[in-house]
Amino acid sequence: MKTLLSRAVMAFALCCLGESRGEWAAAMRAEFETAVEEGKPLGFATGCLVAAWRELVTRDEGRFALTSYALALGLMLPMAALQIGCALLGLPYLFPDQQGLSGAMLEGGAYENLLRGVYQAAIPSLALLQLLIGLGHLRIAWAMLERDWDAVTRLATLTLAASATLVLFMTVLFLNGIQALLQGGVLAIELATLVMVAQWHAQLPAGRSEPAS
Amino acid sequence: MGRNRNPSKQMRALLGVLSAHRLQWRHGYELMKETGLSSGTLYPLLMRMTDQGLVESEWHAPAQPGRPARHAYRLTAAGFALALEQPNEQAALPPGGSLA
Repeated sequence: MKTLLSRAVMAFALCCLGESRGEWAAAMRAEFETAVEEGKPLGFATGCLVAAWRELVTRDEGRFALTSYALALGLMLPMAALQIGCALLGLPYLFPDQQGLSGAMLEGGAYENLLRGVYQAAIPSLALLQLLIGLGHLRIAWAMLERDWDAVTRLATLTLAASATLVLFMTVLFLNGIQALLQGGVLAIELATLVMVAQWHAQLPAGRSEPAS
Repeated sequence: MGRNRNPSKQMRALLGVLSAHRLQWRHGYELMKETGLSSGTLYPLLMRMTDQGLVESEWHAPAQPGRPARHAYRLTAAGFALALEQPNEQAALPPGGSLA
């Protein structure tokens, strides 16, 4: 059990070391077998994990990886969750009257009879657009972590276009588009951050030699 | 490469152990035992010293079949010169120690 746990810790440590320290990861793995024979695998593996984390914060490549994950987990995934939630659950703040999708459809509203048909036709399409924007966020985050900048550019363009379309149609339909506008603003900030992250990656030694696939 | 003119206590310990047998290749686990450093301290130190040109490394074929090749380390001439500058470690150098 202790050896199994040690091997798991060791595997995690080696993953954290990254490609530029691949030779050192192989060196640690080889010495780990000696530590197992000496009966001290867990201490050795834990030390290697500490070493890998120290490398993460002291090297440019490590700081880049940490920043990428922080951006994905701290901003892009929450935004994706919010937008997918808005699309699927009709969260109240996206649509007028704080009543979610049903509010947008004017069920029970005074002008329901006048516009009901138009809204009923349009709102599901807007909700679908919102869902696609949320899924776009997820895919952008994934492509960023894979450092596939071509895919990031393509998806970011599509997501931005979908956001602009959503705001435009909500405005045309006299829906309250403030929240959609705010989310579009956050998307613009995200994309500006992505540009900076991509530029940072291009400056890394590995980034210069590694073509985006 | 930059040289560390004010080595830490751990680095001095490693310099001392490596300079005691200047030309002998040493494995990581062996260095851990001799210096008393943990793997979490030893490996970052070895990485940094290798980056600074103080330590050189090479792969050694396994002693037993089925075992992985092992990474071994020794001081470069620059590393040995730095070891000589350390007052405590200088006394520990063997009489035949040289910069060659």
